[in-house]
Amino acid sequence: MSMAAKTFGGQRHVNLGFAVLIIALYVFLLVPVVTIVGASLTNGLMIEFPPQGLSLRWYQEFFARQDLVDGLLMSLRIGAITAVVTSAIAMMAALAGQALSGKLSGVFQLGMTLPLLVPELLTAVGLLFFLYKIELGKTVAGLQFGHILMSFPYAYVSISAALRQVPSSLEEASASLGATGWQTFRLVILPLVMPGLAMGAIFAFINSFDLYTISLLLKPLGGNTLPLALFDFLTYEFKPTAAAAATISIILSIAGVGLVQKLVGLQRAF
Amino acid sequence: MTTVEVKNLRKSYNDFLALDGVSLTAESGQLVTLLGPSGCGKSTTLRCLAGFHEPNGGDILVDGESILNVPSNRRKFGVVFQNYALFPHMTVAENIGYGLRLQKCSKSEIETRVFDVMKLVRLTGLEDRLPREISGGQQQRVALARALVLKPRLLLLDEPLANLDARLRDEVRWLIRDLQQQSGITAFYVTHDQSEAMAMSDMVAVMKAGRVAQFATPREIYQKPTERYVADFTGEANFLTANSVKPIGEGRYAVHVAGADIEVDGVPGLPDSAAAELLLRPESLSLVTTGEAATFEGEVIKCAFLGASLHCEIALPEGGRLKLTAPPNHAVSVGDRVGVAIDLSHVWLMPEVAP
Repeated sequence: MSMAAKTFGGQRHVNLGFAVLIIALYVFLLVPVVTIVGASLTNGLMIEFPPQGLSLRWYQEFFARQDLVDGLLMSLRIGAITAVVTSAIAMMAALAGQALSGKLSGVFQLGMTLPLLVPELLTAVGLLFFLYKIELGKTVAGLQFGHILMSFPYAYVSISAALRQVPSSLEEASASLGATGWQTFRLVILPLVMPGLAMGAIFAFINSFDLYTISLLLKPLGGNTLPLALFDFLTYEFKPTAAAAATISIILSIAGVGLVQKLVGLQRAF
Repeated sequence: MTTVEVKNLRKSYNDFLALDGVSLTAESGQLVTLLGPSGCGKSTTLRCLAGFHEPNGGDILVDGESILNVPSNRRKFGVVFQNYALFPHMTVAENIGYGLRLQKCSKSEIETRVFDVMKLVRLTGLEDRLPREISGGQQQRVALARALVLKPRLLLLDEPLANLDARLRDEVRWLIRDLQQQSGITAFYVTHDQSEAMAMSDMVAVMKAGRVAQFATPREIYQKPTERYVADFTGEANFLTANSVKPIGEGRYAVHVAGADIEVDGVPGLPDSAAAELLLRPESLSLVTTGEAATFEGEVIKCAFLGASLHCEIALPEGGRLKLTAPPNHAVSVGDRVGVAIDLSHVWLMPEVAP
């Protein structure tokens, strides 16, 4: 009896410690978000927390600034194209990676995640030279290319993880029932990896939306993404407009994740 | 109807030789079982038949034509997998109708044929369930229905009962055999369970390390095995070393074994005066009461009451032990000296195992 009680007590102790850790983790993750959202709602003239009174004036201010709105639209457009193109390429790469066996597969996996391992600045510099060589330097297409490259590993990891969950016997069963490779992909594999594919697209979008260094080097003449426009803005004016812009980014991310949840169910994506 | 001829099939992975010259045939409408322990090559043979593996050598002829260059999606073979391999995102009816949908059959035709085959495997009413919402036995029947609905030329079953509990296994086993016989479809069946193999098959290939050790009817592999490995794998067996083997006819020998001189049937062509191994199945042995003629005498060293029978083990003075079953009320206990009679029509002489 006493043994059982002790174990029970011990477990409670562990659970309490665990709970504190979880709470600390959540605080750590949520404090920046809460601060920035709070600061964006201030009625004062400075970025500060807690906000001085509540208002939406800095959102109005944000949408009145042509440079920031242009940046937002550019980021949205590049992010959307990045999400679509990257997840399509990553899907193909994941299929190729699965078809390879043994040592070759490991080398392939590493190769696919290389953009994560090389410092972003170096990739950006290399890419800049390359883009000038093919006469795409300082163009929107060049910037788009860089974003796809930098976002690819995220989509690849998410999609190949989803693909590994599909047993190979399903492909064999499908073939034995008369399906061509394409039919098997469309009717069996694609529906089963869809959550991972959607998650990969979201990752690619969010990553593209956040990229700074590579955008700075590759940006087209006269065009800015939102992070670049915000940095320019903050260099001269330290106004809560920036906090409003950040909050809008957060809302967009949440909307994206919500969309995945609605379409395919988030729990299935992990 | 379909005949299959597997000729000297070879397959290796890196430096592992999975198939070392497998040859078998299946006549039209036969169920041929590939029986053996894991790693013996039975599944690899089946996967070569299905087209999932490409053999390194040999040939597979179906109705006289080689199918090695035909990809698996054009072979028109039905495959039933050990883990069922049902599509988890499709309902039972969609799973079964998958092949018909690929053939661009009309909606109403798919519906009718799916309904008919579901009735055949007793799944009616489960059309709209997902695979994860039905039991293992039901999933297995969906897998079977999905293969059968296409009227395949050949049915390939890879340990289809391995994941079912004992009671269901018996039920699904007879369902598979009934459907196979009714439709007259030629089938290959992979299993490591000898009782399954014996009960269902027209022919059994006992496999050993990438080769076919014996390819014969269930009766033959049990009663007339070509080697000890086959005898061991197909059921309970006693072996005694036989000396001074004397051929006295085609497949008939006079031997000296454990102090007795007897005449027995055996594998044809055993050499004169060599040693050989005598197979005695437990059911061919019986305990005799004093006064009756006994072939061997020995001491009871184990005796277990199993309800329907007594299970005894006898040690012979010349060395060697015999397991046998006796009627449940036979008066015998450990330490008794007893006589053992053998039914000479049920013993079998085989070559001695190479040491």
